[in-house]
Amino acid sequence: MAIGKSIPMLDSVARVTGTVPYASNLKLPDMLVGKVFRSNVPHARITKLDVSAAEQVPGVVAIVTATDFSGEGPPNLHFGSTYQDQPIVAADRIRFIGEPVALIAAESTAIAEQAIDLIELEYEELPAVFDAEEATQPGAPQLHGAFPNNVLRHSKLRHGDIEAGFAAAVKIIEEVFNSPAAQQVSLETQVAVAQWKDNKLTVWTGSQSPYTVRRVLAAIFDLDLEDVRVIVPPLGGGFGAKGNIRTQPLAAALAWKVGDRPVKLVLTRAEEFFTVTKHAAKIVMKSGVRRDGTFTARKITIFWNGGAYASSSAHLVPAGMLRAIGPYRIPAVRVDSYGIYTNLPIAGAYRGAMSSQGVFAHESHMDTIAHQLGIDPLTIRKKNLLHTDDTFATGEQLHDIHFVRCLESAADGLGWHEPFQRENGTAKKRGRGVAIMMKNTIANSSSECRITLDAAGRVTLFISTVEMGQGGHTAMAQIAAEALGIPVEAVSVQGPDTAKTPPDTQTASSRNTQMMGNAVLDGAASLRRQLAEAAAPIIEWLPEELSVADGYVFVTSQPQERIVYAEVLRRNNITALTANGKFSTNVGKLDSETGQGISTPDWHQGAGACEVEVDTQTGKVTVLRYHSSSFAGLVINPMLAGLQNDGNVIFGLGASLLEEIAIDAGQITNPNLSDYMIPSFLDIPVELKNVSLEAEGSSFHGIGEMTLPPVAPAIANAVYDAVGVRIRDLPLTAEKVLRTIEEQNDHAR
Amino acid sequence: MRARSVTLQVNGQTHYLKIPAGQILVETLREALDLGGTRNSCDIGMCGTCTVLVDGKAVSSCLTLTAQVENKPITTIEGLSQNGMLHPVQQAFIDHGAYQCAYCTPGLILSTVALLDEQPNPDDVAIRKYLAGNLCRCGSYVNILNAVRACRTLDDQSRSV
Repeated sequence: MAIGKSIPMLDSVARVTGTVPYASNLKLPDMLVGKVFRSNVPHARITKLDVSAAEQVPGVVAIVTATDFSGEGPPNLHFGSTYQDQPIVAADRIRFIGEPVALIAAESTAIAEQAIDLIELEYEELPAVFDAEEATQPGAPQLHGAFPNNVLRHSKLRHGDIEAGFAAAVKIIEEVFNSPAAQQVSLETQVAVAQWKDNKLTVWTGSQSPYTVRRVLAAIFDLDLEDVRVIVPPLGGGFGAKGNIRTQPLAAALAWKVGDRPVKLVLTRAEEFFTVTKHAAKIVMKSGVRRDGTFTARKITIFWNGGAYASSSAHLVPAGMLRAIGPYRIPAVRVDSYGIYTNLPIAGAYRGAMSSQGVFAHESHMDTIAHQLGIDPLTIRKKNLLHTDDTFATGEQLHDIHFVRCLESAADGLGWHEPFQRENGTAKKRGRGVAIMMKNTIANSSSECRITLDAAGRVTLFISTVEMGQGGHTAMAQIAAEALGIPVEAVSVQGPDTAKTPPDTQTASSRNTQMMGNAVLDGAASLRRQLAEAAAPIIEWLPEELSVADGYVFVTSQPQERIVYAEVLRRNNITALTANGKFSTNVGKLDSETGQGISTPDWHQGAGACEVEVDTQTGKVTVLRYHSSSFAGLVINPMLAGLQNDGNVIFGLGASLLEEIAIDAGQITNPNLSDYMIPSFLDIPVELKNVSLEAEGSSFHGIGEMTLPPVAPAIANAVYDAVGVRIRDLPLTAEKVLRTIEEQNDHAR
Repeated sequence: MRARSVTLQVNGQTHYLKIPAGQILVETLREALDLGGTRNSCDIGMCGTCTVLVDGKAVSSCLTLTAQVENKPITTIEGLSQNGMLHPVQQAFIDHGAYQCAYCTPGLILSTVALLDEQPNPDDVAIRKYLAGNLCRCGSYVNILNAVRACRTLDDQSRSV
């Protein structure tokens, strides 16, 4: 049995010997270095761009500016996976600080940097807007003519009678929550290497979305899809930043101008911050409740700061609408989710995308409700949690729901009902908090695989699943091994290469295990059928009288009549059998006015419970103990699942306590790992535990994000429990906590 | 750019190189010697992904001028396994699943080797402090801690903090 085993990742030796072939390590003959000349004003009209001096620098091979796109036909200046609103380089208009204005290909980094210093840019500054809500107000600077009031997307959900709901409430509670922009901080920065040959483009890149990259590059250069080849080696972290399309058009445009030499573009750490961030979000949450703690209505308004171009916001804004509601029985729900253009870097997916902001809001809000009604935070949640067959705010009936178990297992792990020492006579106070999340995944998506079996009995899995540290290739190999009844060691994985591996929507939103996992099962079933058919003439039984399992084709009624897979091929003179597998879902088409419909093939479910210590003299919050749980359905690899759960919690700790992109008049002032801190060994709880829940008859569920969104509200709730202050703006820095405690003390005096 | 000749002792081999004056060690290792296990990430000595051992001490190769370490023994992750056998710390990282994307792993393994050289039996607090300069964004810290514990000369389970 291969499923359920904690085997190390397939390429573990490469991982500990430093030989993983990341895109950043790729070296090709005659390869040039790509660099980007970026804007230093947030909003401006370009009046002059002069690259002539830069072009004269010996060793500069090509410089790309908007004039390269001004001719008839391709390449097209603008690109985008949903809206084509983003220029490869700014043409007449700059919309954020750090926007690419010119691209340089040179023999070395030093030469490229020397050339950058010689580029002359003149502009007329325009009024700029940085706050999403302000950007929607009359008179605000407008970023894109086609989108009045800077609204790039407005998603609506209307469920039940909202007025009647609030009228029936005993108490109406409204709060406002803010999450700042943050950076995903993959330790390997974004990389794209591009090369043209015979009007065909090959790109090697660290991307979570190989097929999106192929489609968008083909559109830019007006190529057939087959003439763009995208190869994705393992990634040094992704976390959403490497989803969608990022630096690939820049590298491809440089290589196009150069001719036949490859160009490698590797972002610096600072450039990462200019390329993609988490969406800053303001969430206004208003709930009507009865005395017993049940809901009558909820109204939510969300402003997502999308930055200067739509990128993935166009499809993330509706997802964020659903993820802010909460896993509770609420008869009337109204949500307005606004994605807004501002003069800031583009926002995109950030692990737990569009969930963390909403879950911070609804779970902090839940504790406020609990305290106002005098009900225990765990009790009020359990009273309201959704169950299988309940109706969600989309009107869809829920299936495979395990919220109560998720929450209980996290709370029980912590010992929620057991007394603990709240104080010890010092300035340090302790408190506890819980939180839970529900998340839809990409609903209209498809995964395909190809499986080959050769005459030596070796199986190769061709999948476009991106290996970014989650162990996706290992999990797929385990599923294939299980389904074919062979050892995992007999399975090899060929990762994403659009010339070799079939399409997959992308490796994002925790969809791989469920979607590609089922595609692999489908492919394996097909391979078993082929084996039965090929074996039938050899052992002289009908294919339908045969079974295929444990490495043998055998007669179902006489299992001793059997033949090993490799022998089936050899006796038939077949060098290899090839099977295709596919799994797709075609839901997610919600009504645009009401948000009603089926939003997701399955629900992501996770919870957390923690104990914190707050130093009332400094405001410092230390998470002492954290217990997380996610619903996994069927765990493929317990060790890798545990790493996902723990990794999420640690990622969430950063966003809860440390991480905030500081912006001054559109300028990011902390685009480095000295001023922007991510969790180190010293920041993690001494007691950090996780559980991956399974259920009888349940299949694979994604677990890549589930334990992350509950972290911030669990901590905020624990801080409230410890010192009685409610912090509604992330992160919970020592300064902010101390200031809030002091304000409360002043108020009390 | 001005070039400079240097003699480097890397993983037991002597290299005579001509490099741009002022080149940092991580670039020399990656570009001139093609040792891709030493990796850039933050470029300012905050993250530890470019950690190498110089004279057995863990240093950030992004903050080290190549000329500074001439003729000093340098060990990169590629030099840690001997005769095809993984170093015990490398094996412990596999046994405990102490990595995800593994971009930080060479730095963490080399820092662990330096730690165990200085303190053969570190307690959990010492391990956490010593490895605090090696960031793992995937968050494999619990498994890393377990791997390092397993490498102590005296593996005393009761010593956890």
